[in-house]
Amino acid sequence: MQVYTTDTPAARSGRIKVGIADFAVSSDESTLTTSGLGSCIGVALYDPETGVSGLAHAMLPEADDGSEPAKFVDTGVELLIAEMQAVGADTDRIVAKIAGGSTMFDFTSADGDGSIGDRNVAATRTTLDGFGIDVVAEDVGGSHGRSLELDSETGDLRVRSAKSGTHVL
Amino acid sequence: MNLDVRSLRTFSRLAHSGAEKAAGSLTTLAGIDTYVNVTKVELGTKSDVENEFAERDLVSVHIGFSGGLDGHTVLAFSPESAERLVDALMPGIDATDADGELAESSLKEVANIMLGGFIDGWADYLDTTVDITTPTYVDDENDGPLDRVDAEGFENGGDDEHVLVFRNQLEAADNAIEFDLYMVPTAASIGTIVEASGDDGALPVESFAAFSEMINDGATQASEDITAMTGIDTTVEVSRLSFVPIEGVPMSLTDAVRRGVVLEFSGTPSGYIAILFDEPSAENIASSLLPGMEGDEAMRQSAIQEIGNITTSGFLDGWANALETTIDISPPKHVHDIGSAIIDPLATDLAQSQEYAFLIDSTIRTDDDEFTCDIYALPDETELRKALKQLSPAA
Repeated sequence: MQVYTTDTPAARSGRIKVGIADFAVSSDESTLTTSGLGSCIGVALYDPETGVSGLAHAMLPEADDGSEPAKFVDTGVELLIAEMQAVGADTDRIVAKIAGGSTMFDFTSADGDGSIGDRNVAATRTTLDGFGIDVVAEDVGGSHGRSLELDSETGDLRVRSAKSGTHVL
Repeated sequence: MNLDVRSLRTFSRLAHSGAEKAAGSLTTLAGIDTYVNVTKVELGTKSDVENEFAERDLVSVHIGFSGGLDGHTVLAFSPESAERLVDALMPGIDATDADGELAESSLKEVANIMLGGFIDGWADYLDTTVDITTPTYVDDENDGPLDRVDAEGFENGGDDEHVLVFRNQLEAADNAIEFDLYMVPTAASIGTIVEASGDDGALPVESFAAFSEMINDGATQASEDITAMTGIDTTVEVSRLSFVPIEGVPMSLTDAVRRGVVLEFSGTPSGYIAILFDEPSAENIASSLLPGMEGDEAMRQSAIQEIGNITTSGFLDGWANALETTIDISPPKHVHDIGSAIIDPLATDLAQSQEYAFLIDSTIRTDDDEFTCDIYALPDETELRKALKQLSPAA
């Protein structure tokens, strides 16, 4: 069962909220939002020709067998792309903007592989690269949290942080 | 009666899918997008739940259920959210008119549809029939919010009756309408559900209750220590243990900016603690610790770190005693960021090895809201199970 994945129908309010370990697709100019990215990564995809857009909020880089796919970068992005393709998007046209993946704390559990935030960013690049999708803008790493809004009409990704306010990717 | 992690997962899934059905029926009925934010299985005392209702001035509609399962469901709104929902359902109706009958009956209708859908899922799972009562609207200040909830809980040898509460936070129309869907089954019905999902390796429910009391004691100690240090009179508003899908942990916070500290603790159990203040509270704390001084940012940070240290040791020292162990605490790290983003890396770190988390959250505040402090503790699930075993009556 997909506990937190919303098979979101077109939102009447024009805003679709993407939870954690969740993703959503819009083909009708809605705004996709997600908040509270710390080490988590937000992957915003946009097909400029059809206006189909998608946003995923993943917690960890790689899925194990039988785990909830939307929680992980590799499986979550794959599902997001499939859902966008189902409503007319094409990976030849889709571009990506990514944000998040920060390292806010220096936990004792972090081993030689680097922080979860860094690993999330690396897994995102690898996964997108596998689909031939270019990352055209990014705001990743650092030690602060972010909230995102993807404007499906323009493909603009608004990134909000506590200290530096909002900027557009 | 015993409880184990597997049946808690079953509970959590049933409650979440029930709440999604309920949200879907509101979307259809009112044409406003409704989301289930977080589903929690909470263990607390009846008075904790009552305090929360009273504190937040909640307007609620109650529906009882009986048959294969017995207990109570409640749909609870803040007065503002109730008003906005009524307005969305029947534009132009004045929800605050003298008798408010129309508003009341439309909220009852909403509750009937939502709570009915919620209960159906449980009945299906247990392959049984559950009857629901007609909805009762409760906003009478003289009425104890849980007076109508006649679901008997279970006791832990002490005075406080514990209840297991299934709580779903929902939101609609761009966060303008927020409400909670509660389900409080009777102790016997909890037993029925646990039996249906198997109870391998289960722990007596009393050990969860004992742990919940330990958290209460820790929060009380922390509150006393804050008062002693700052001279600000504080009390524990709420303190509870809940079982949440790991991704639901950061989602229980908003994206409002918070200031505070994050620490690691290690021992049995080990885990993370975040002590967070809203910005005005952080200002008040800093100025009470630096009286008459125009503190710079560095001084403020160290004041917040100091209060974080005091609060953490107050909160955790009792655990070490009750569990007959030592718990070490890392130096506090100052944070000033989006609330949910502060908790996100803590939950994510645990998410590498567990799908669900035991979330401990306590709120310490002053009567006049001058100061609010939220304590979140996230123990490692396996280690917490060890700790709970230690608290079992047989241990």
